Amino acid sequence: MQSREEVVIGNQAIARGLVEAGLEIAAAYPGTPSSEILPGVVYFKKMEDVKIHTEWSTNELCAFEVAFGAAAYSGARAACFMKQVGLNVAFPALLRSREKTIEGGLVIVSCDDPGPQSSQTEQDTRLIAALFGIPVFDPASPTEAADVAYYALNWSFENKVPVIIRSTHRVSHARESISLYSPGARKVSLQEGHLAGTGRKLGIVASGMSYSLVYDVIEELGAADVVSLYKVLKVYPPSEALSDFVRSVDRVLVVEETDRVIEALIGDDKKVMGRSDGTVPSSGEITYDIVRDMLSGVLGRLGLARKDLFAPDGTIEEALSDVAVIPRPPKLCPGCPHRASFFAMQYLWPDAIYPGDIGCYTLGISQGAVDTCLDMGAGVTMAEGFYDAFNQDGKLVPILASVGDSTFLHACLAPLYDAVKNRKRFILVLMDNSTTAMTGMQPTPQTGVTVDGVKTRSVAIEDIVKGLGVKYLKIVDPYDVPLMIGTIREAFDYLKGDEMLPAVIIARRQCLLLTKGAAKEAEYPVDIERDCIGCKSCLATFDCPAMSFDEGLKKIRIDDSICTNCGICYYACPVQVKGKALRKLKGLVKQGAK
Amino acid sequence: MKHEIICAGIGGRGVLLASTILIEAAITSGLKAVASDEYGMSQRGGSVVSLVKVGDFASPFIGRENGDILLAFEESEFYRTLFFLKKGGLALINTRAEGFPSSVDTLLKKRGIVCRLVDADGIARDEGMFQSANMALLGSFASFGIAPFTREVLENTIRSRVPEKFLAKNLAVFAKGFEAADGQGAVKIPQQGV
Repeated sequence: MQSREEVVIGNQAIARGLVEAGLEIAAAYPGTPSSEILPGVVYFKKMEDVKIHTEWSTNELCAFEVAFGAAAYSGARAACFMKQVGLNVAFPALLRSREKTIEGGLVIVSCDDPGPQSSQTEQDTRLIAALFGIPVFDPASPTEAADVAYYALNWSFENKVPVIIRSTHRVSHARESISLYSPGARKVSLQEGHLAGTGRKLGIVASGMSYSLVYDVIEELGAADVVSLYKVLKVYPPSEALSDFVRSVDRVLVVEETDRVIEALIGDDKKVMGRSDGTVPSSGEITYDIVRDMLSGVLGRLGLARKDLFAPDGTIEEALSDVAVIPRPPKLCPGCPHRASFFAMQYLWPDAIYPGDIGCYTLGISQGAVDTCLDMGAGVTMAEGFYDAFNQDGKLVPILASVGDSTFLHACLAPLYDAVKNRKRFILVLMDNSTTAMTGMQPTPQTGVTVDGVKTRSVAIEDIVKGLGVKYLKIVDPYDVPLMIGTIREAFDYLKGDEMLPAVIIARRQCLLLTKGAAKEAEYPVDIERDCIGCKSCLATFDCPAMSFDEGLKKIRIDDSICTNCGICYYACPVQVKGKALRKLKGLVKQGAK
Repeated sequence: MKHEIICAGIGGRGVLLASTILIEAAITSGLKAVASDEYGMSQRGGSVVSLVKVGDFASPFIGRENGDILLAFEESEFYRTLFFLKKGGLALINTRAEGFPSSVDTLLKKRGIVCRLVDADGIARDEGMFQSANMALLGSFASFGIAPFTREVLENTIRSRVPEKFLAKNLAVFAKGFEAADGQGAVKIPQQGV
């Protein structure tokens, strides 16, 4: 029985389908674009008053193994959620799990990030699934995602094998109205097959959001009677009907994100156009304009074009070429404690080695205080490698690694222990803002709150650091810039001593999105522009979104509407009292070091 | 009925709330609608674009020069997303400026784009609600009465979406935005088939 409609995003739709299918256990580690699925399960379990255990895991491997344990041996209906690079973390367990016969049901939702928009790399979950023989669905809309989630959990339960649902950020974050059914009552309509068009000269095969895009572009180009469109929902194992469709048309164009998966499964190089022959761009998100250009081109080449090809009006760019549009690259928020930490690190040693990690603080790259971004946890272990490379030549250079609190707990315990065990000398600045800010403020083990909002035991990061064998550990408020600089200096002196261990500085201050307010450190609005001499050095070292350079006045301008009055930028200004004092301090600590 | 709407602004200024109100207004009016939200880096002061499509569409994407309506919650984001707008489209822009650089003016005339400049920040500030400029711009948009986005439908959707504590003030900002654009006379919106 259908209860009602609700406007949701794709991730909530997946959660809804699973809850209706009798989900009992759900575990996840947040990562864009997957982060809203677990909170969606919490939302719907409360709405339906059903018992589902939900938890934020420490990382994706933990999430996978919790769900697998519950499904494999206890007969539960379980699910785990992660982003595409999170699937790599869960990979060892994933590969083994497909050989097991599970007692219950297990759905793995892995959300891909074509582009990538918010990841270090593109990656296609479907490719991993197809390579290793794991059934995988690729829904094309939130509505379909709800149905697929419902169907997949039931299918897994009946067939005793894990099933993967692959979403992309465009499905996960699309918003539409879906039907909510009572648990167990969903009417599923899964659509795969030749769904649109009648032409035989060109068959288009597409899956996921690429299908929805192609559908709209065919409408715009009025091409429905010259092409046929085949929708793939279950990418692996492929259906017989797909082979029949490929045989029934003269040429085939495959549109899919982000790798060649359906294209490889069809495997007919002479007939198929796609990524292999360059018809589809080899990487990056497939946008409306890309599909329109591509399809117009193919229709033109095959002599099937019905309308004049779309020609962009270049006068738009011409007219705008003289208009100064403010560039808006991603930046740390105004008042962000990370910015203060990076400023201190960079101020002391502009030329130090800065291994970085994955989170908001990767943006420290714009302050010159992050040099690397490999994968979660690599900041610490790469610092080890840098140390070894210089140490072998008898040099001890400043190496300042940075990592956030959630990533530290996710991936850095073994690396930091490794550094202690192998006697590596570098400084780790652990930026503790008490939350997982990048992905939407999920709690960390340190927060002591579950995904249901219930209080639980909290884990203190400093206890873990000490437990791993670190002897030099200082906890500093990053807003106290002189103290940060002094502490970093002190830590480097420690590295030169006999202990031969890494030094850890915990830079602790809550994320401003968590405190939901102004920093209120300065009681009056920041007026750095008053004495500004136009040197722009603050832009290079501080890089705050509230700052811009007024080319007319030749002065820095502060946007009062977003400035949080943190006042840390005074340190970055060579004419302000704080900035002048900091210069003296830098001279002193450098002198002291000699 | 088909509408392709672009909502453009910067993170933390209510672009996503505005687009959510638009899609919910369409759906409660019995229409099919789909929207696309940009997430990820949007909270970090970066550009935010949310696309809303009303009518029989499969994807929430809008092609270059296909958009019917552009709601720019920030002037520079108007320039950045202008390529979305079709000939004869409608643009509402939150800005204190009273006109465009001459090259843009010529372009807009040539493309038959109807523009309405609204000091949404100023309207919101006057009501003591700086963060509610999105409501002022939605109010101005409502004054065009493009079905289903009439004043009544949008106000009802705002009532269902905005917390009670801020509702009265938000509706006041919305009303001011409506009046600001309404006084400028009715504008006929050319409807062009896609």
